[in-house]
Amino acid sequence: MSQQVSRRNLLGKIGAAAAGVMSASLARTAKAAVQKVLVSTGAAKGYDPTKHKWVMAIDANRCIGCGLCAEACKTENHVPEGPYYRTWIERYIITKPRPGSGDARGETLVDCPSGGMHGFPEPPVPKEEIQHSFFVPKLCNLCEHSACVQVCPVGATFDAPDGAVLIDPKYCIGCGFCIQACPYGCRFLNPVTKTAEKCTLCYHRITRGLNPACVEVCPTQARVFGDLKNPAPDDPIQRFYQNNKVQALKPHLGTDPRVYYAGIDKEVR
Amino acid sequence: MRNPFKMPPQVLRLCLLALAIVSSYALARYFLTPPSFRQYGWYRGAALSELQAREPVFAGKKACEECHSDQLNKLSKGEHKTLSCEACHGPGQAHSDNPDVKIELKNFSPCIRCHESNPSRPKWHKQVVSKNHYTGSKCTECHVPHSPTEVP
Repeated sequence: MSQQVSRRNLLGKIGAAAAGVMSASLARTAKAAVQKVLVSTGAAKGYDPTKHKWVMAIDANRCIGCGLCAEACKTENHVPEGPYYRTWIERYIITKPRPGSGDARGETLVDCPSGGMHGFPEPPVPKEEIQHSFFVPKLCNLCEHSACVQVCPVGATFDAPDGAVLIDPKYCIGCGFCIQACPYGCRFLNPVTKTAEKCTLCYHRITRGLNPACVEVCPTQARVFGDLKNPAPDDPIQRFYQNNKVQALKPHLGTDPRVYYAGIDKEVR
Repeated sequence: MRNPFKMPPQVLRLCLLALAIVSSYALARYFLTPPSFRQYGWYRGAALSELQAREPVFAGKKACEECHSDQLNKLSKGEHKTLSCEACHGPGQAHSDNPDVKIELKNFSPCIRCHESNPSRPKWHKQVVSKNHYTGSKCTECHVPHSPTEVP
């Protein structure tokens, strides 16, 4: 009996010693990791995400469908070749109704060759049959209540405090739930990194005080970008609200997008 | 075997197993959770600075102005005042960092990219059917891109 007790005591002591040594060394590594991370964070750059609120506004009346934005986005963000776009342009063509049909409008045709990045060819229907046609640039809608964030099983996609919806590529497991959840089709699986990818509002640019690449190259200022917490003098976003009747895409879904549109028809989804 | 808790040994073993599982989870959670997790929310706060770290490819109009203010001055007086340099000239961060790196001519956007007639384009925008408009080789024979109303 006493032998048994002493063996148990011995085992217990060995276990405690081992645990002590292990936890001490683990704690040291953990501390080192903490310090490493604290040193390497962007805090030194002086960008505080809680002091900004980014928004994008799009005036479809001004979009000429040149495709510079979609092309610049690919270049700026090193998006792989192929049908992968963080931003793209759609062409809406609404035809005239058939005579005697009693309809107000005809068919709605939407096309988007190569994301619109090389411009658009001649429309598929003759000019005389078009009732109304226009271009709609699309990108991440910066939802206040994002479906993509809700479905991510690993916390890899998140609403940053400055309003950008971002993806942590180190945490993304590439399950694709967010790609299915996004009602605006703004996400894709990067074939190289095998992680989900989307518009980051050019996060590396806006935090340096630059405009997103698409806004920078837009020749007609159809894309307007601004910071709601630090409005510029003669703020383009405020001017956009003053001069336009604004709307958001798919408001019935309750996602509360922070990308506002002006000059689009009800057919746009 | 003496049992201090007066419980059947199989129950004691079960309790110890449960304790081991819970404590290993707690240990893993304590040591493996990145330090910046929950800095702003239920995600890794360091991801924000990692996303910021990438270098831009487009330099922005301000960077161009540092050396080419004369061209920008001319541009700001004409119809093309809303255009960024890089809209036509292509990405310029490499050139801005080192002026010896030239921006290649093949990166230039042709005029008809914006001005070719297309029924989907808004009516206020000036458009031409390039085949009918001019059969020569270059738009710049008659137009000055930096000041569109000027005649060369």
